[in-house]
Amino acid sequence: MNAAPAVEVKDLSIKFGDFTAVDKVSFSVNRGEIFGFLGANGAGKTTTIRMLTGLLLPSSGSALVGGLGFGDGGRGIKKIVGYMSQKFTLYNDLTVGENLDFAAGLRKLDPAYAKKRRKELFELIAFNKPLSSKVAALPGGIKQELALAAAMLHDPEIVFLDEPTSGVAPASRARFWALIRRITGLGKTVIVTTHYMDEAEQCGRIALMRTGRLIALGSPEELKASAFPGPMAEIDFNGAGSAAFIAGLEKAPGLLELSPHGMRWHAAFAAKAAMDAALAGLPPAASAALIKPSLEDVFIRLVEGAER
Amino acid sequence: MNGFNFHRAYSIARKEVMHILRDPFTLTLALGLPVMLVTFFGYAIDYEVRNIRLAVSDRDNGPAARRLKEVFSSSGYFRLVEPGPAGPVEMLDSGRAAAAVFIEPDFSKKIKGGGQAQAQFVLDGSDNSKAAAITGYLPGIQRAAQAKLAAQTIKEPFSAETRFLYNPELNSRWFIVPGLAAIIIGLLAILLTALNVAREWENGSMELLLSTPVRPLEIITGKLAPYGALVLAGVFFVYLVSRLVFGVPFEGSHLLYLAACLLFVTAALSQGLLISVITRQQQVAMQFSMITGLLPSMLLSGFIFPVESMPAFFQYLTMLLPPRWFMAAARGITLKGADLAELAVPFLALGLLSAGMLALAIKKFKTDLE
Amino acid sequence: MNRTLTAFIKKELTQTLRDVRMRALLFGAPIIQLTIFGLALSTEIKNIKLAVVSQPGDAVFGRVADSFYASGWFVRVGCAPGEDPYELIASGRADAVLLAPKEGLARSAERGDGKMQLLVDASNSTKARAVEAYSKNIIAAAAAREYGARGEPALKFDVRVLYNPAMESSMFLVPGVMGMLVCLITIILTAMSLTREKEMGTFETIVSAPLSDAEVLLGKTVPYILLGLADAALVVLAGYLIFGVPVRGPLWQLALAALALVVNTVSIGTFISTVARNQQQAMLGGFMFLFPAILMSGIMYPVENMPKAVIAAAYLDPLMYFVRLIRNIMLKGGDAYVLWTNLGALALMAVFAAGLAYKRFRQTLN
Repeated sequence: MNAAPAVEVKDLSIKFGDFTAVDKVSFSVNRGEIFGFLGANGAGKTTTIRMLTGLLLPSSGSALVGGLGFGDGGRGIKKIVGYMSQKFTLYNDLTVGENLDFAAGLRKLDPAYAKKRRKELFELIAFNKPLSSKVAALPGGIKQELALAAAMLHDPEIVFLDEPTSGVAPASRARFWALIRRITGLGKTVIVTTHYMDEAEQCGRIALMRTGRLIALGSPEELKASAFPGPMAEIDFNGAGSAAFIAGLEKAPGLLELSPHGMRWHAAFAAKAAMDAALAGLPPAASAALIKPSLEDVFIRLVEGAER
Repeated sequence: MNGFNFHRAYSIARKEVMHILRDPFTLTLALGLPVMLVTFFGYAIDYEVRNIRLAVSDRDNGPAARRLKEVFSSSGYFRLVEPGPAGPVEMLDSGRAAAAVFIEPDFSKKIKGGGQAQAQFVLDGSDNSKAAAITGYLPGIQRAAQAKLAAQTIKEPFSAETRFLYNPELNSRWFIVPGLAAIIIGLLAILLTALNVAREWENGSMELLLSTPVRPLEIITGKLAPYGALVLAGVFFVYLVSRLVFGVPFEGSHLLYLAACLLFVTAALSQGLLISVITRQQQVAMQFSMITGLLPSMLLSGFIFPVESMPAFFQYLTMLLPPRWFMAAARGITLKGADLAELAVPFLALGLLSAGMLALAIKKFKTDLE
Repeated sequence: MNRTLTAFIKKELTQTLRDVRMRALLFGAPIIQLTIFGLALSTEIKNIKLAVVSQPGDAVFGRVADSFYASGWFVRVGCAPGEDPYELIASGRADAVLLAPKEGLARSAERGDGKMQLLVDASNSTKARAVEAYSKNIIAAAAAREYGARGEPALKFDVRVLYNPAMESSMFLVPGVMGMLVCLITIILTAMSLTREKEMGTFETIVSAPLSDAEVLLGKTVPYILLGLADAALVVLAGYLIFGVPVRGPLWQLALAALALVVNTVSIGTFISTVARNQQQAMLGGFMFLFPAILMSGIMYPVENMPKAVIAAAYLDPLMYFVRLIRNIMLKGGDAYVLWTNLGALALMAVFAAGLAYKRFRQTLN
């Protein structure tokens, strides 16, 4: 296996009419990495993935996916990658076997090879129901695992998953992510979009997108460190009136970010001294604790903060 | 109707109206279909078949043969064409003529001598509607030809003077256009309802609606009322065109006509609902509506093919079809000015069938929820 | 064959035919339509309700009336003495009433002007026309019987009906039903199935596979071409077995005509699916094409009889060429001129329609 990156993107842009959906995005993905795209709806995650799977041709910039470019209109890329789109990708009214046969036909796989792959993938996802089960009758989590198997039937090196766990029960989501880790364990590269923060935490690196631009890139720890160089406090008012204090806190010097989290508030500061000064006047019933920022805090600071 | 909340039904109806208004396709069809049907049946179809291409093989070339040809062409029904080198039958084979007449070499001589002359008339039976019309014209042509050829008018000892009631000029538009309302209701109401409700089942939003405190009857009323109104708008449009453009008389009571429309719309909407509950899938619902909705309204309602001309089995079968009774009521009211007493049977049948369909649809809808 | 195409055919047919109801509809509909067209509908008007009103003892009129009922077109409706004949028609109990002259038919005929009166309900103008034509012939025949023919008529037509001598409607309608069904199945099913993939999102998976645009298009259309052709064959077979509708021309001509039509209709279905956003719209779009296409095709109404503008539009209707072709092949044995002109026109339209559909389809793919 050579050391060249699985995906290398430089100044990739796409325009639909006057609207720039993806604007000069550059990054590279290493082999065997779980690479996540995080961003609000319409941030350009899906559009970027659709370009990298050969479904859309960029207006400008370049990308090499598995060493291939767009010279042939995306056909070459389509051959070597696996893609599971945002919407449900299996046919509910067909059986498991029929769905996989069709997936094999779409990629012109030799029937014997397809059968062998099917067996391997069933082992990988621990699928033990009969081939003749109707997809409609399967639980949501198992359907998604099957959809992933269908997308990997041709044994692609790079797998793109567009919000693979939306609408799936939490327990099944965890199972699905364990499966993703098993796949990268086999040396495959997985590129995934999500808007669940706990899922993003499990990625090797995250690309944060907003209105078509890549605004931050790095491992979850790196993102937290760069977004919050100073300390962060979680304030719990324990039922005491908070409005007056919050109004004052918003104007405190050195405050980087202030956001409500349910009944509590997260406040980030540039330095420890600024935090101590700002929290001095806390109502007696309230308490404050030093916490580590979560990816959600990063998201709020970088994405929503930029919109304010 | 215990607990029926008009407000909730109204809010569902409002949502449905928004859907319809945002869907240019549905709107275009609902309004475009009546326009198209009126134009086609009002303008394009002439029930008197004309311009029949008649290939003439004249081996006589005498004065009598010439006069016979004149009779054909002046009838207004036929257009004479020269047979090609391959002869008139070949013209029929290739469809370049619909009929052919063969005039024998001694035709004029026979007429002059006071004997009986024969002309062979051959027609293309592969298009029945045309062939039937042509055979209908022949006796008249023969009488006219006789008068012209032999100055021979056969004075019948007795004859009948025909008086056409309600439509003295036999204007076929008067007959067809009032029937279009049946097609429009039969097609649009059934099809649109069946598809729309089947879609709600297909994408699961029906379950969502049903999980709210809204009662099934409120859902049904709310969903169907806008389509009922849309369909009635189409009928009103046909009414305007038939009165203003085609001058179709309206002899009877408008109120009675409206009542007939409402009864039929109820039956059609209920049928659409029933189909959607049974099929729950758009493709199946569409096929079902075609066979149980469109086909009967077009073919078995008496719209064009009279019910009385059908074999007994089909006559009984049509009794189960709401469009047949609506057609009878609509034509009776518009052309004959019939009152409720005269239309008792169609109205009673329409009422019974509508009530039956509605009850069946609601029952099936309710049992499916449990 | 191409593995992808085989996979598509298998998948589409499984999806369409798995549902028992869909199978019943797809293969039952042709039979139902044929039965209705073949048995129930006839262009001949029958069972006309006729009442007669005369003075007692008018024997000549009685015999005229009898010949009406004996003709088979009319059924007897009773009329109470003194009843208003107009009321009989207004109430719908009679379609026509034949009234004898006051002094009796025999007497007035002797005087030289035996005028009966025939009241006809013309609210159905087609029926009224038929009633008048029937009664003229019946009365003329009755007069000849009563008083002897007055002189040999100078002209007699010897009428022969070619291709369908008994003028059976099924012969004429089977080809039409076949055209209608093929159109319906191919256009609406193609449009709806393509739209469904887009609605559900499964289309994304198909286009993410390394297939050429043509492969995707063929994969989604060939299964419906096959279904359409299967239904066409079923109609021909049922027409032959149940109604004895002959196939006088060679089968390959029939197959070629059906194929040319189906390429047209499938292209139109594809085109519709590129415009429609959901299945309901796809179906409605299909109807917008189907309704005028069927009405202008000549299946039910002769095209030549329509106004010039409509005839001009009918020349753009693939179904019109198909109906001409199929009637000629089935009933007349296939005439070379008809075959090649109409097939040529259909093929030309097919190339154009397929090209347009392919272009639109590619645009929506990218």
